[in-house]
Amino acid sequence: MEQHEVPASEGIWSPRPKNWLVESILVTIFCCLPFGIVGIIYAAQVNTKFDLGDYLGATRMARDARKWTLISLIVGGGWIILLLGFGLFSSFFFGMHHWFWPQGGF
Amino acid sequence: MKPIQIKTTVLTLGVVGASLVYFFFNPSRYPFFPKCPFFTLTGFYCPGCGSQRAFHALLHGQLVQAAGFNLLAILAFPFLAYAALVYFMKHVFGIFLRQEIFYRPWFSWTVLGFVLLFWVLRNLPFVCFAWMAP
Repeated sequence: MEQHEVPASEGIWSPRPKNWLVESILVTIFCCLPFGIVGIIYAAQVNTKFDLGDYLGATRMARDARKWTLISLIVGGGWIILLLGFGLFSSFFFGMHHWFWPQGGF
Repeated sequence: MKPIQIKTTVLTLGVVGASLVYFFFNPSRYPFFPKCPFFTLTGFYCPGCGSQRAFHALLHGQLVQAAGFNLLAILAFPFLAYAALVYFMKHVFGIFLRQEIFYRPWFSWTVLGFVLLFWVLRNLPFVCFAWMAP
């Protein structure tokens, strides 16, 4: 995903850091956690800083964008697995009373 | 297989698999779809609430219903689809497409503005914003 461009104020060639914008939008929409928004904020700063010629700052922001996108992905993914597991677990055990009390119970 | 090929294969299978699940199962009727943690904890909608139902509606071609569940997801969809196309063309066919829009500062700040505005507006208890709630 990286693009190779030279920022205006820098004489030397430097690669544009991957900004994690698409990934952070994805986790914001599908992982339903506000952490993804932190990722979008850092992703936006990657672009702004790189265009200003602040290559070091852009790289630092890219690292934080990656960090927050991954945190959101891990927490969101953990939540989904937890809920899926709990849903299957509880429907199994709460359905079990029908084996013992076919007329109803509970 | 190289790691990038494994990654591409896993991503493609994941997207296709998820699309099949969301096509055949309606998230508003089946209980096994995960609920939003932010909504469960706080009772407020997050910017992503309703996106599962919106994806289901979108796969069935019901664009208006989809936008009613989550406007943001529907607005983001063309961009995400383009990003997926760029990724796929690059890693499968070795064709590099333009994707400068994701690297323009105005675009990412606009995305952030839309997300925050949508997050606030869909939680306001006024009738004029009710259509934004999922």
